[in-house]
Amino acid sequence: MLDIKNLHAEVEGQPILKGIDLQIPTGEVHAIMGPNGSGKSTLASILAGREDYEITAGSVDYSGKSLLDLDASERACEGIFLGFQYPVEIPGVSNLYLLRAAVNARRAYRGESEIDAMDFMKQVQTTVEQVGMSMEMAKRGVNEGFSGGEKKRNEIFQMLLLEPRLAILDETDSGLDIDALKTVAKGINHLRSPDRSTVLVTHYKRLLEHVVPDRIHVLAGGRMVRSGGPELADELERYGYAGLEDEAQQASAVS
Amino acid sequence: MIPDTVTNRYRNEYDRVFARLPGGPGPAGERQHHLARFMETGFPHPRAEDWKYTSLQPIEKREFKLADAAGNLDPAHVKALIPDSLDAYRVVIIDGHYVPEHSLIDGLPSGATVDSFANYLGSNEGTIQSPVIKDEPGSLTDLNAALVTDGAYVRLANNVALDKPIHVLTIATADQADQMNQVRHRFELATSAEATVIEHYVGLGESAYFTNVVTEVVASANSKLTRCRIQQEGKRGYHIGSFYAHQSRDSRIIDHAFDYGARLARTGTNTRLAEDNAEVHLYGVYAPTGRQHIDNHTRVDHATEHGISREIYKGVLDDHGRGVFNGKIIVHPHAQKTDSDQAANALLLSDKAEVDAKPELEIYADDVVCGHGSTVGQLDEAAVFYLKSRGVSEDGARAILTYSFANALVQMIGLQPIERFVESALLAKLPGGASYADLA
Repeated sequence: MLDIKNLHAEVEGQPILKGIDLQIPTGEVHAIMGPNGSGKSTLASILAGREDYEITAGSVDYSGKSLLDLDASERACEGIFLGFQYPVEIPGVSNLYLLRAAVNARRAYRGESEIDAMDFMKQVQTTVEQVGMSMEMAKRGVNEGFSGGEKKRNEIFQMLLLEPRLAILDETDSGLDIDALKTVAKGINHLRSPDRSTVLVTHYKRLLEHVVPDRIHVLAGGRMVRSGGPELADELERYGYAGLEDEAQQASAVS
Repeated sequence: MIPDTVTNRYRNEYDRVFARLPGGPGPAGERQHHLARFMETGFPHPRAEDWKYTSLQPIEKREFKLADAAGNLDPAHVKALIPDSLDAYRVVIIDGHYVPEHSLIDGLPSGATVDSFANYLGSNEGTIQSPVIKDEPGSLTDLNAALVTDGAYVRLANNVALDKPIHVLTIATADQADQMNQVRHRFELATSAEATVIEHYVGLGESAYFTNVVTEVVASANSKLTRCRIQQEGKRGYHIGSFYAHQSRDSRIIDHAFDYGARLARTGTNTRLAEDNAEVHLYGVYAPTGRQHIDNHTRVDHATEHGISREIYKGVLDDHGRGVFNGKIIVHPHAQKTDSDQAANALLLSDKAEVDAKPELEIYADDVVCGHGSTVGQLDEAAVFYLKSRGVSEDGARAILTYSFANALVQMIGLQPIERFVESALLAKLPGGASYADLA
């Protein structure tokens, strides 16, 4: 589904990604772990189309399309979803309005007519129950006055309703208590299917106990330094990232 | 031969029409007095502090004429200008003349008078001399007094609370070039009376025109006026609006202003909290786009104790739009326990747009709370990206966030048809915004 080759990116001349190679096959869940500042969030943002970064080399193929040629809204319409580390508050614009606009943007992109209001509300009802949100919350302004945990829950709510082909979740598990984490995990597992893929950017192993990934990749110093099966998480928890950061530094010294 | 100076053009116009201007000999004398004052002072001097950012030269250059009668509009056309599902009394002024066929003033509760300003002037008690404007008014207010043709006149007796808002729709057909509308509205609320007035200005034609409107409000003790001003003048319209209110004890005025139209608009909103515990709220959204220039000056005089003023003005500026906000708050020496707060925020959607927002506080009492703050910013790019990552287009994201920026002020109106109307009118001004009109 996703094939990243030698991706280099920088901000104001400061290199952040220094040659990322990563394949996410269709139907798989991959986790990207790594220390703070390693470039995890940058990678997630770049995949979703944030324009604050300069791509200096490399390519990203998404189901046969060159992802970097599409803008963020086109990528969303192509089935990519980014769960934000810091979801934005938009007072006065209801969640449901945004979601209906999002659903209809996708439909327009595919040349379909707007969604029927009743059908939409039925989907909302089902999804709200899935993530344990109240209807009142779903109707409130986007993240308006939400707690950190509520914001993350809302990201999962949006993801489930939009049914992306490729979901990229940027630290959606950070700062969650265990109940909220389980809801988030349930949402991710619910979406797991042979024709969808998920990328979990996370700092903590805890989420991976509830969503067992097919592969784990370790990003450090702007490079992928390790890849392995789910057992890699245990190793990382036991030994930390310290050794990996050294590896990354050595690698950049060589190059 | 009278030299062709700016002021002489208006004197000539006065000479041309004075026989037809409404009001008996009393008002006629008043008109001459105000004309003389206008002739003396002329248009505001560009170097005057209050006019630093707004030049009236485009108005001065032209030779505007009053329309002899209201332009013809069929009822469907007028209806199309009215906010959907707004249940209201209606006073329609077209080209400076009250048009009864389009108006709706039947079924008023007893003690309520709604009439045209011309009819009021023609009555025994009719007088141009304002019960409100005590200080030296601006010369454009003098010009209005000399030439006023019509407007809305509302008087509510003690304890009368109107069951419906009054929609005062002032239309400029701009059928002919260089038309001028000199309109005056007067709202008098007796003790404990209550009303909502929607002052609505619309321009239709393609020609240049000049609307000079004065609104006067007498808010007696414990009365409450909610006023929505929706300014949608035509793209070649010049709009000067002057509002003067006198507030007695325990009275409340809540003013919601939406300035969307006109090539150049300048409003002065002045209220005097003349007695204790009077309260005023001034909320405004102004949205100059294209090459529009919109200037809002407000002035609150806290003259006595326990006055409350709340003010929030928000600017949305796109293209080469130019905005000015000046918020003057004067706390007079005996106005102890004044509680005042003012915020001016502006959102620049284009790097060619420009705004000057200035608080102006003069405080001569010591036991007061007066807060003020001012921000000018751009759209939060993180929020734009958030919306785009959900599939919304760039224009759509900008429209939604602009809506969000203005929304808090819209919500305060508390009258749904008007809230929806001013929100969709704002969205309609933004690229691609019309497709998000159902946000409202």
